[in-house]
Amino acid sequence: MTGPDEPRPTPTGAPPRMVVDARGSWCPGPLMELVRVIKEEPVGTEFELLSSDEGSRKDIPIWLNKAGHQLVELRPDSGFDRFIVRKTHE
Amino acid sequence: MSTPSTPSPDQMAIVLTESATDKLLPFATLVSGAIAMGFRVDVFASYWGLSAFRKGPSVPEVSPGHGELGARLEQALTAPKAPSWRAILEMAKSLGDLHIYACSQSMEILGFQKEELDPLVESVTGVATFIDTTRSAQITYFI
Repeated sequence: MTGPDEPRPTPTGAPPRMVVDARGSWCPGPLMELVRVIKEEPVGTEFELLSSDEGSRKDIPIWLNKAGHQLVELRPDSGFDRFIVRKTHE
Repeated sequence: MSTPSTPSPDQMAIVLTESATDKLLPFATLVSGAIAMGFRVDVFASYWGLSAFRKGPSVPEVSPGHGELGARLEQALTAPKAPSWRAILEMAKSLGDLHIYACSQSMEILGFQKEELDPLVESVTGVATFIDTTRSAQITYFI
């Protein structure tokens, strides 16, 4: 029996994904946003972080490596970068 | 000889003596970056660095002598997503191990009471206590 607040698996089985739009935020704003949401959301959640801060390109992978979460993809877009990140542990 | 069962966390120590926005923003940025990287951060707020923590709105103030670049910074600070240094510190505090102390000498000379200071400041401390607390810090800054 599942409680009313229990997240349901999506029909496709894809992990839940949360978009964090930190474009326009100065260093280390995008990183701090990511640190905050990773702390709050459950293991397995994927995050799509958008950052226009050039420092993020190295900061985000370095932090993920230190914190032990997964960088699924780093995709440059026009004027910003898109980081796909998965929370792998509490 | 017994050794501690758990290693001490990485630690950053900062002495903050300035109150201009162009000092407070890099200060808050360093603090939050260190917190994100898992450091404990200890801050000794002294003189104008302490005055920056008085309660009430913090009015942006750019150091003089930077000409057109100073004006550019003032302009940038009015942007919708421009960070407030206090908001950066509050976020850092909510995410990690941040301690901010008021220098007791400055409290006395400037005539401040603890109640006049932002709650981010946890206690009034003498310099020897700060040195003792940060004796093992790997990174130290004077701002």
